[in-house]
Amino acid sequence: MKKRQGSKVLYVFAIFFALVCLVPVVYIILNAFKPSSELYSATPTFLPRQWTLSNFTEALQKGRFGTYIFNTLFVATVSTIIMVTINTMSGYALAKFKFRGSSIILIIILSTIMLPLEVIMVPVFSVLKATGLYNSLWALIIPSAATPTGIFIMRQYLLTVPNELMESARIDGAGELRIFAQIIVPNAKPAIATLGIFSFMWRWNDYVWPLIAISDPDKYTLQLAISNFSGEYAVDWNSMIAMAAISMVPMLIIFLIFQRQFVQGIQTAGLKG
Amino acid sequence: MSTKTTSYKWYQRKQKIIPYLFLAPNLAIFITYIIVPAVMGAYYSLTSFDGLHDPKFIGLKNYVELFTDDPRFIDALLNTFKYVGVTVPLTFVAALGLAYIVVSIFRGKSFFRASYYWPVMISTIVVGVMWQWILGDTFGLVNVFRNAIGLEKMQTLTNPTFAWWTTVFVMVWSRAGYYMVMFMGGLLSIPRSLYEAADIDGANRFQQFFRITLPVIKPTCILVLILSTMQIFKVYPMVVTLTGGGPYNATRYIVQHIYETAFEYYEVGYASAMSVVMLIVVTIFSAINFAVTKGGER
Repeated sequence: MKKRQGSKVLYVFAIFFALVCLVPVVYIILNAFKPSSELYSATPTFLPRQWTLSNFTEALQKGRFGTYIFNTLFVATVSTIIMVTINTMSGYALAKFKFRGSSIILIIILSTIMLPLEVIMVPVFSVLKATGLYNSLWALIIPSAATPTGIFIMRQYLLTVPNELMESARIDGAGELRIFAQIIVPNAKPAIATLGIFSFMWRWNDYVWPLIAISDPDKYTLQLAISNFSGEYAVDWNSMIAMAAISMVPMLIIFLIFQRQFVQGIQTAGLKG
Repeated sequence: MSTKTTSYKWYQRKQKIIPYLFLAPNLAIFITYIIVPAVMGAYYSLTSFDGLHDPKFIGLKNYVELFTDDPRFIDALLNTFKYVGVTVPLTFVAALGLAYIVVSIFRGKSFFRASYYWPVMISTIVVGVMWQWILGDTFGLVNVFRNAIGLEKMQTLTNPTFAWWTTVFVMVWSRAGYYMVMFMGGLLSIPRSLYEAADIDGANRFQQFFRITLPVIKPTCILVLILSTMQIFKVYPMVVTLTGGGPYNATRYIVQHIYETAFEYYEVGYASAMSVVMLIVVTIFSAINFAVTKGGER
């Protein structure tokens, strides 16, 4: 009897916190469908009294948010492909080869986890200029493709792939690239999926890199555009809220589909969300 | 015979180069965009540099100035300490509480886990926009409610105290779900038999929590403390859209100060010195965490 009382209290808390997490998000998404008159009303309602898409169309037409969405999608997709490829390659080298300097390389890679971008953002700006990437979408794609956490999870995962698979392929005369593409990659699929999903989310939500690397409005990503609009003297809340909704809905959907990968990724490698 | 040995030697030599080739693209990016900037930053911090002209070596002058003649820097740094000191424990407790709820309930586990994790998926920029809309002075819900019950309008994000605590609350709101997942991993690894034995011995819930749960999940606790301290120390994007650092610099934290010093006032050398100080402070925080908790030893 006592136990059941306890679990009832637990459910009250559980539901309360679920509401605290969900209601603000849902409220903002619903607000994106309200016409100005309701948005700025002194007595707002939770559901729009009159549904409209005008906030979205206005943001896409006047605010050029179509460009920003395209830029963000491009960066997130291409960066994820490059990142998964080169991190799997590095993880493979560190897990399956014995070579001079391997442990030092691993230590250096892992220690950079403790070096946040915020600490090196000033000189990174100089390096981006010197390497000609400044004000190019590639500045958001290439540098961020080499993550220490990505290398780490690929290495840990590939350690569990049996060496016999590679050895028998070598005896059969398969080249190293073929071994990598046809044996290692298929065997690393779960880890690649986890890393890919995280990478896409990181790049989609990224702010500090774009802030340092991009000043040309044609190259803005969604986050950069939203933050710049919020800094304006008279904030156009209609477009802002529509864009906030457009920015978060894809991530929420990705999360609902790939929940399991997120949980595993965090619990095994402490991947930052 | 001899051709066979040479080809074998050649094969061996090739095998030695291969791991380096697999590592090459990653290492090239690492060196160019992390190691080189780190070294450059350390050098810049010893120079007077405006980002345009050549840096001029001035020794430790930047550091001396930071700590003797720059109240704005000290304010931002102390404000960040205060922020970390309040937000990290709150995030810790919230995350552990949520993990406890999800692990303990029977029905709707995955629904509640998903709900609590939801805010983590939203970019910090958008999180700031959301809460600015919800809590802002003009259109915010606080004043809608006050209006509805006949109270006067109050200052929300234009009030320094309210704004500061809002940055605390919003950080906890947006990060707790992430650390919750880490705690869940720890909590689920505790064998049920430990609690059953404690039940038989008549230990109550509190005793069980402090004597069994906490000691077993200690390594997770340390990881959460170190990661959340680093994360919360570099709070910036959320503040950009939530308060812009105001009102009256009440929510101005160190990363914003470094960013503006370098990119708005072009004192690149000086800002680099701030970055070095920040790195040292973050490292000390982690080391203290690690030492106090004795590195996860039980």
